[in-house]
Amino acid sequence: MYNALVCCRAGMGSSMLLKIKVDQVIKEKGYPIKTEHGNLDSLVGFKGDLVITMDDLTAELSGKVPYALGIRNIVNKEEINEKLEEFLKTKE
Amino acid sequence: MLGILVNEAMIQFDVVADDWIDAVRKSAKPLLEAGKITEGYIQAIIDSAIEAGPYFVIAPHVALPHARPEMGVKENAIGITTLKNPVEFGNASNDPVKYVFTLSAVDNSKHLDALATLAELLDDEAFFNVLDTASKPHEVIDYINKLRKD
Repeated sequence: MYNALVCCRAGMGSSMLLKIKVDQVIKEKGYPIKTEHGNLDSLVGFKGDLVITMDDLTAELSGKVPYALGIRNIVNKEEINEKLEEFLKTKE
Repeated sequence: MLGILVNEAMIQFDVVADDWIDAVRKSAKPLLEAGKITEGYIQAIIDSAIEAGPYFVIAPHVALPHARPEMGVKENAIGITTLKNPVEFGNASNDPVKYVFTLSAVDNSKHLDALATLAELLDDEAFFNVLDTASKPHEVIDYINKLRKD
């Protein structure tokens, strides 16, 4: 099981919506990923496997977290699925 | 439930905005007038977007302006505004913005159901049709309530 942190700048609202959508995709596909929700402060000491956030944040995160996954369109499940698949491929 | 967070007074159609800052201000106005947020909260949204970029433009043509609760949230609420002329927020993937959902959230746990409904609505073409064609706020409320019952 992989641990993912879903976060956005404010830690309210958009990241919570993102978590809802990501969880839907994970459940539908049966991916071995568990999500928790937080804000940027949650990144301090984060021990999980990937960070899922809005696309604008990923550049800042690269190099600082094991894997940063950025979503452009929060309601596009296909985009979310493709990017989760890409992450899982790196673990094969 | 979303129904308790949105009321007719917080829904406005075809608002004319000069730019994204104007759009954020005008969309938040009903929440300010209803005592859901402070003036400082609106400024915090604008300041953080200037500093960090338009992080709350989360889907094509959809913005969800919000800031941290301690910046001036008084009560949970969601405002719904459609813009007469879509406005550029500076988000290459999702510009221009036509629908603005101003979010005022005291904490995460209490409005989780409401956000789940909002997540559904943002993925629902018929909902945007209602927003485009409705002439009275109650038509939007009726649609949301109907959705909850189905």
